[in-house]
Amino acid sequence: MGLTLESLDVLQGEPDWLGERRRGALATYERLPHPSKTDEEWRRTDISGLNPAQFSELEHQDGFKLAGRSTLPRGVILEPLRVAAEKHPDLVKPHLFSLIRADRDRFSALHAAFFTGGTFLYVPDGVVIDEPIVGQHTSHAGGTAFLPHTLIVAGRGARFHYLDEYIGQDDEAVGYRSGSAEIFAGEGAEVAYVAVQKWGRNAWHFGDQRARIDKDAKLRLFNVTLGGRFSKTRVEASLVGQGAEAELKGLYLASGQQFFDFHTLQDHQVGNTRSDLLFKGALQDTARTVYAGLIRIEKGAARSDAYQANRNLVLSDHAKATSIPMLEIDNNDVRCTHGATVGPVDPQHMFYLRSRGIPEPTAKRMLVQGFFGDVLDRIPFEHARNLIEADLVARLG
Amino acid sequence: MATVPKVDVGTDYKEKYGFFVPEDYIFKAKRGLNPEIVKEISWMKKEPEWMLKFRLRSLEMFRKKPMPNWGADLSVIDFENIFYYLKAQDKQSTSWEDLPPDIKKTYDRLGVPEAERKFLAGVSAQYESEVVYHSLHEELSKKGVIFTDTDSALRDHPELFKEYFGTVIPPADNKFAALNSAVWSGGSFIYVPKGVRVDIPLQAYFRINAENMGQFERTLIICDEGSFVHYIEGCTAPIYTTDSLHSAVVEIIVKKNARCRYTTIQNWSTNVFNLVTKRALAYGDATMEWVDGNLGSQITMKYPSVYLMEPGAKGDVLSVAFAGKGQHQDAGGKMIHVAPNTTSTITSKSISKGGGRTSYRGHIKMYPGANNSKSFVKCDALLLDDESRSDTYPYNDVDAENVTLGHEATVSKVSDEQLFYLMSRGITRSEAETMIVNGFIEPFTKELPLEYAVELNRLIQLEMEGSVG
Repeated sequence: MGLTLESLDVLQGEPDWLGERRRGALATYERLPHPSKTDEEWRRTDISGLNPAQFSELEHQDGFKLAGRSTLPRGVILEPLRVAAEKHPDLVKPHLFSLIRADRDRFSALHAAFFTGGTFLYVPDGVVIDEPIVGQHTSHAGGTAFLPHTLIVAGRGARFHYLDEYIGQDDEAVGYRSGSAEIFAGEGAEVAYVAVQKWGRNAWHFGDQRARIDKDAKLRLFNVTLGGRFSKTRVEASLVGQGAEAELKGLYLASGQQFFDFHTLQDHQVGNTRSDLLFKGALQDTARTVYAGLIRIEKGAARSDAYQANRNLVLSDHAKATSIPMLEIDNNDVRCTHGATVGPVDPQHMFYLRSRGIPEPTAKRMLVQGFFGDVLDRIPFEHARNLIEADLVARLG
Repeated sequence: MATVPKVDVGTDYKEKYGFFVPEDYIFKAKRGLNPEIVKEISWMKKEPEWMLKFRLRSLEMFRKKPMPNWGADLSVIDFENIFYYLKAQDKQSTSWEDLPPDIKKTYDRLGVPEAERKFLAGVSAQYESEVVYHSLHEELSKKGVIFTDTDSALRDHPELFKEYFGTVIPPADNKFAALNSAVWSGGSFIYVPKGVRVDIPLQAYFRINAENMGQFERTLIICDEGSFVHYIEGCTAPIYTTDSLHSAVVEIIVKKNARCRYTTIQNWSTNVFNLVTKRALAYGDATMEWVDGNLGSQITMKYPSVYLMEPGAKGDVLSVAFAGKGQHQDAGGKMIHVAPNTTSTITSKSISKGGGRTSYRGHIKMYPGANNSKSFVKCDALLLDDESRSDTYPYNDVDAENVTLGHEATVSKVSDEQLFYLMSRGITRSEAETMIVNGFIEPFTKELPLEYAVELNRLIQLEMEGSVG
């Protein structure tokens, strides 16, 4: 049966234009084929066990916790996305699903048709928010579809930090989840965005994080993936104005039978832009991860500087890591490097710790923490860091 | 995917690379591809029944297999408009004097006899689809080394041939391997017996010399236990106006403790589609080295691979690609680790100029059980102007335990500091750039025998001439 137009009945009080778009996205969903094994993006990503029709109940929440709401400066809009769609169509309508397009694939279409919950944040020109803003998306029930969407629009010179937390309370039940974010960083804006995905361990997760970075704007984006049985995330940044900068960091710990897939894009559309990507992951048990990243430097994007690295620490004999860092360079006046590594814990490091009387599991955890350290330390939310540390301790012993 | 524009090879092509002799064929099969043509080829060659069946089966597979949907744009190839077999001369020559004057003239320009006089063991030079000139050093024969063309090997060493032929690259491997299996002709066959070291490189020149004609040579090299051989394949081709297809298959078996090096300098004219499948199996403690230079052709798709089958096997790919105007070099390497304690390295250097495009495409696969293996890939790309393009597509799959895999790549232009330094010493800009490019590919050049290194440097110089800015 799956999700249908009737499923949307739980979402009352939306403006007509949004309903219209949802119906359009649903039509797109029905039109698009299920990805096949021969599609390059899905070759290593097995979704044969997923039947979207299995999920017919939509978990609907506009409830999220926003830290520091009382102290927001004037002009800042921070609302549930659906409320904002009604109250501020002039801001929401042109941006919503313009970066993450519904017709990209089936799962994007499903997300655009049935997103619930999520946040709209608008920070006007020149406004600086010191307090971190936290959007919490907590799934309470199993067996449902829960698809929160975040839309962030930063005006010129705006500066703020935003954290999306995706948490599943029911660890056992199978669920369909997606958590996506569209970020518009206006001229000279400085945006830090963190997403921590910690759904229940049987969830299917499809997430897109896509940013458009204008002249002299800076984006720092952190993707932390810990939960889900299956997680596919795309992290994409388009640098569209001179002087734009993107720092994209990823951190993942895959254990048990988890499968994580990451596709990243550093899209240098104009020159004098910088991007710096580092995805670090640890794998244990029979977990599998796929990382595929692309740096694309367009013809006119002279004096671009791009870096891309994927490091995998394989902690068990049966974990499998795939790493595909790709470059497409169409301009010669650039600096572009990338690297990928897959390897075990350094036996010398392990020996050193063991010889100090530290038991092996603890030593292993310390080495993984050390491995994650350079990404973890840069996450601008203590709350998020604690969440991640706790998860590492729980899973690595 | 952008379509590949028709190439203007330029008016000075003849002077640069130039040799061109009138066609004079004894037999030229009709254009197009069908079972009748395949039967005709097999009949002309007086092949055994099993080979005819093999060819016909391969043709079926070719028909069924889809075109690759990745890499370069191959849609412009018209398989029905190609000659699949040509034979310039009925009898194989055993000495230089017996060769027809036309062919001799071509090889004179290539410097074949001179090279032979100096130190070459054997020359197996392919003119059109058949090896027409072939000589074998006496010493090699005494050691039991077989160095012949593949057609003769099928006739003269049927058992050895049947045991290995098509075992490394079965026809079903990919569309172009199937095509080659159906219409193959010529190529080299080398067998090196146990413990024999061939100290001097064996080489063959391959040539295309008929408009719209495909070359489908098939090379098979078997290095028995503890042996060593270095085989050199070099290609040059004269100018033509319509597209030519070159689709070779090279199969190599390197047995225990043996070492094989396969060196290629590919310099097809820039209207050739060069779609080659090259693969080696390396057994216990064996070493396989591919040294692969790609300068010419309109499109090259070539990924020499090594299957590391037993513990201690080692694979190496050293690849250089140069893409000028209208060219797309899609090259790289594959290392398939099947056994534990195996090691591999891939080093790729690519240069793009005048709107050319180079792509590195590689695959490292560590199968379960390939424990304690190591692999390292390094790709450097040099972009000489702002019209050119460079891509890197490395696929790394690790399914084994305790393995170390590393990949690194950089893309850069000729550095202004280096240019300034050289030019301040009175060297012209174009000379300075040539020097920098030659320096960039030096790790490759120094692996080549001297005369090839000289030839390569000269070719780079020719390619770089007139590159201002």
